[in-house]
Amino acid sequence: MAAEVNAPASARFGRRSPLEVLRTVFGPVFQLFLFIVGSALALSLIVVLLALMQMGSRPDILTRALTILPQVIIDGLVRGFLFATIALGYTMVYGVLEFINFAHGEIFMVGGIVGAAIGLMLFTSGMLAGVPVLLFVAIVVLAGMVVSGSLAVAVERVAYRPLRGSPRLVPLISAIGVSLVLQDVVRLIVTNTPMGFNARYHTPDFGSPIRLFEIDLGERVVPVIVSPKALVFISVALLMLIGLNYLVNATRLGKAIRATAQDRPTASLMGINVNRIISLTFLIGGALGGAAGALFGLNVGAVNPYMGFIPGLKAFTAAVLGGIGNITGAMVGGVVLGFLEAFVSSYLSLFTNGALSGAAYADIAAFSILILILIFRPSGLLGEATTQKV
Amino acid sequence: MALLEANNITKTFGGLTAVNDVTLTIDEGRIVSVIGPNGAGKTTFFNILTGIYKPDKGTITFGDKPIAGLKSNDIAALGMRRTFQNIRLFNNMTVLENVLVGMHTHLRVPFWHIIFKLPTVQREERKARERAREHLNYVGLDDKREELAKNLPYGDQRRLEIARALAGEPRLILLDEPTAGMNPNETAAATTLIRRLRDDLQLTVVLIEHDMRLVMAISERITVLDYGTKIAEGDAHTIRTNPRVIEAYLGKGAADAA
Amino acid sequence: MTPTVPSESLWVQVKTILSNGPPAYTFFTLYALISSLLLISNPRTSLTTDIIFVFFLLLVMLVYRSSVHKYFKHTILLFQLCIVLPYFGTLNPFYLEVATQAGIFVTLALGLNVVVGFAGLLDLGYVAFFAVGAYAWAITSTNQMTLINPDWVPLPPIAFYPFLIFGLILGTITGILLGLPVLRLRGDYLAIVTLGFGEVIRVLANNLDRPINFTNGSQGIREIERPNLFFADFVRNTLGWNLSDQKLYELFFYFAVLLIVFMTILVVKRLKESRIGRAWEAIREDETAAIAQGIPLVRTKLLAFAVGASFAGAMGVIFASKQLFINPPTFDLLRSINILAMVILGGMGSIPGAILGAVLVTLLDLQILPRTANVLRDLQRAGFPIPAAFDPTQYQRMLFGLLLVIMMIFRPQGILPDERRKEELIADEPDDLPEQPDQSDSGTPPPSAATPNGSK
Repeated sequence: MAAEVNAPASARFGRRSPLEVLRTVFGPVFQLFLFIVGSALALSLIVVLLALMQMGSRPDILTRALTILPQVIIDGLVRGFLFATIALGYTMVYGVLEFINFAHGEIFMVGGIVGAAIGLMLFTSGMLAGVPVLLFVAIVVLAGMVVSGSLAVAVERVAYRPLRGSPRLVPLISAIGVSLVLQDVVRLIVTNTPMGFNARYHTPDFGSPIRLFEIDLGERVVPVIVSPKALVFISVALLMLIGLNYLVNATRLGKAIRATAQDRPTASLMGINVNRIISLTFLIGGALGGAAGALFGLNVGAVNPYMGFIPGLKAFTAAVLGGIGNITGAMVGGVVLGFLEAFVSSYLSLFTNGALSGAAYADIAAFSILILILIFRPSGLLGEATTQKV
Repeated sequence: MALLEANNITKTFGGLTAVNDVTLTIDEGRIVSVIGPNGAGKTTFFNILTGIYKPDKGTITFGDKPIAGLKSNDIAALGMRRTFQNIRLFNNMTVLENVLVGMHTHLRVPFWHIIFKLPTVQREERKARERAREHLNYVGLDDKREELAKNLPYGDQRRLEIARALAGEPRLILLDEPTAGMNPNETAAATTLIRRLRDDLQLTVVLIEHDMRLVMAISERITVLDYGTKIAEGDAHTIRTNPRVIEAYLGKGAADAA
Repeated sequence: MTPTVPSESLWVQVKTILSNGPPAYTFFTLYALISSLLLISNPRTSLTTDIIFVFFLLLVMLVYRSSVHKYFKHTILLFQLCIVLPYFGTLNPFYLEVATQAGIFVTLALGLNVVVGFAGLLDLGYVAFFAVGAYAWAITSTNQMTLINPDWVPLPPIAFYPFLIFGLILGTITGILLGLPVLRLRGDYLAIVTLGFGEVIRVLANNLDRPINFTNGSQGIREIERPNLFFADFVRNTLGWNLSDQKLYELFFYFAVLLIVFMTILVVKRLKESRIGRAWEAIREDETAAIAQGIPLVRTKLLAFAVGASFAGAMGVIFASKQLFINPPTFDLLRSINILAMVILGGMGSIPGAILGAVLVTLLDLQILPRTANVLRDLQRAGFPIPAAFDPTQYQRMLFGLLLVIMMIFRPQGILPDERRKEELIADEPDDLPEQPDQSDSGTPPPSAATPNGSK
């Protein structure tokens, strides 16, 4: 993990002042904020330019593009935080083991299923309406974290640990296997319960969408709305990101994790129980993934056993985009990718006059980004260039 | 005549300058040593010469050809071969196959000949095997040619690396600590082998070495690096008496040996 | 006294007797005749026939593993695969279909084996090349041509034959186009990028019905042209076998696939034993050392990628034409994983392994799983507590996922391992901490090199 780059020099020795702790924890958050604003501005600018270029043939295009812009940005933010929270799991494991935990998308999915199961249980027992919204969110997030976190630890124990020391290909293939097994085991479970394959995510009433502001176009008024669920999602994700930064950059445990990431044999010589730290890394990554799953399902309203695959792939893209192994990088990568996808899926059909469906090509855009990044800047946006040692 | 000329080579990693403005000229048919304390930038310098790293500054010419920035495999194909400090054989291939891989750039039957199994393929393969065995004979490993490289004893692995480098029919061979970890007998044998490379095969040899007795005995020219900078250059006598070298490198008690 | 375990020595004795000398020849001849007779006398699709069929195919492997004379091996293979099996196929087309399907996957597995097994590049989007070949023929041989451009007409059926070569070239080109940018990447990144590429191809197939209808989107393409049977008259009139068109097509595809399988095996084997195969192996073991021998990294990897892709491209053409209908889900990730499972089951880098893996997985897919499903349904009806939604044919992900995990943990070298690869894939000391840091340390003192480690 390159997160230690952000830590001030004094952090490596002795205790730090509260101010320094604040800096190490909120520094990355500030960096993230800069990237959010920056990528939103840059992409909006591109949209405006594209619209201006087409003004000749389609005079109304600028207005149409601008009216949906705030909505697109909110959508991008939601997607971005989704990718960011999943990407953290990839990046932490990669930082410690240099291993792509292919099954992480499924860990995310399990969080969603757990949340939906809780919702369904409360719904069938008739108590759902009585549960306060925030309590409900806390319950599903915690449950998702516990189940997914333990699952991730178990998977590491069973399918990855015996393979440590094998050629890289071997644990990778095992991870692909685990990913497929989890998909179908969950499918087997849910299809034999009242949930069914496409499970509805029951929630208490979150209230009606919040109108942020309105755009007056003269003949009609376009409201910019944000759903309370999306707001909850963004705030919880942000809290988790801050918490993780605190854990990794300002605690003893975090120091042990960073040491293990740097140099496993040496860390073990320094008395760090490397196996425990690795389990812990899977636990934290899995818990974050599970929470993301629980919140994502809540936000979308439905879950299914295969829903983890594509977000998992994209979150991995985000991790690479930000610089794999780098915690702040994963968040930044997630947010940038989220914006990019939101913009492509909303504007592609507008600018091609409906010829290309944006939703489908957003996936292609994400993977193209992955390929481009890997070719031109494999170290990612925030990663340090690693040199090959001989 | 200069076979290899490296001018003003500089390479930095992050904030660390591993090689700083080093100039080195190697004449054809010489045995040249690069010495220096641990971390002086010797291996990095080798990695720059062989194209594993690109120098930040400086030029390298190898037999009239500028090679700085060329890919490692292209440099190898031009006739510059190397061994590695921490032996890098193809462990699960046989001894003979390791040498055959070393001959890769000299095997040229086209792809489609292989697909259609034309006689040219077998002819070339047979010749290659004969040649590979000659190389193995030369380093004394022919009777072990069917063993897996990883099963060889340590000293044999070092020799196999040299045989593999020879298989490329190089003009220049770079040996990175060829006697590291060897006992005195093995070191003596290795010294003879290195000398023979030059005397019998007319190869130019550059070596990085910590064994001062070996260095002083066989090098015609010695370059000393310290903290990435060249601090001295000359024959064994010049180096032994150079105060800067003694200070930087031999000063710590080894001075009496010098 | 030699302390031998009786049962083991008996087994070894049987093995030696049956792999050499007159007893072996007698055994294999009898085996071939009996299994063929049994097969032909049981033309109904049933569990018995399934077992006989597997028994029949098993001979091929046994003969291959024994040390009987080369010509005898070839005779047995020829007799079984070119005479008995096709004849049996005219009695029961299902088993011929199984064999044809198995052949298609043998080629794909061999192709992927070049990429994964020989060059050590994990390609998770291999089916994309198969899709490219299949869609190329599907589009050009049907009305899609007219939909793309009203002036264009579909290719005539006879174009199928040259199109096989075109499929091969198209596969190669696609392989190179994808490979060029991504082969510089480290191994695990490559896996993800190829996976993404596979998804991209599927998404394109799903969405390229607009603005111009190339692929007919999620509907898929129907009524794909089959080649014309230029030999039909010869078979019916000269040989006097009165076979329907349908049967002739089944036989034609069987033999076409068999021919391609045969050619693929030859090509793959020759490459493996050549300087190129050695270069792949060297790269797989230690890239840096390989470059230092003058091996061009990207070009050599690209070659593996292109060779693998070319087989898939050509097979795609046959597949589309045989199936008559293709749609995007035919080429999803699961299919790639399926082929990967074949390679891993048989043994990465092993040619007989890839063949065995492909046959086993195909049998599993087409015979064992449906049979198990039937048995389960019967049990369920008889009142056993089996969940209603559990149909093994619907749980391939779980099955292949388990297969991958179990193989990696217990036998990473596969069933019929390549001797060399075996050494490489078995971890030396799996649970040893602090362990050897992978490849990236320059500062290790030499003594550690005194006990060289196999894996890096």
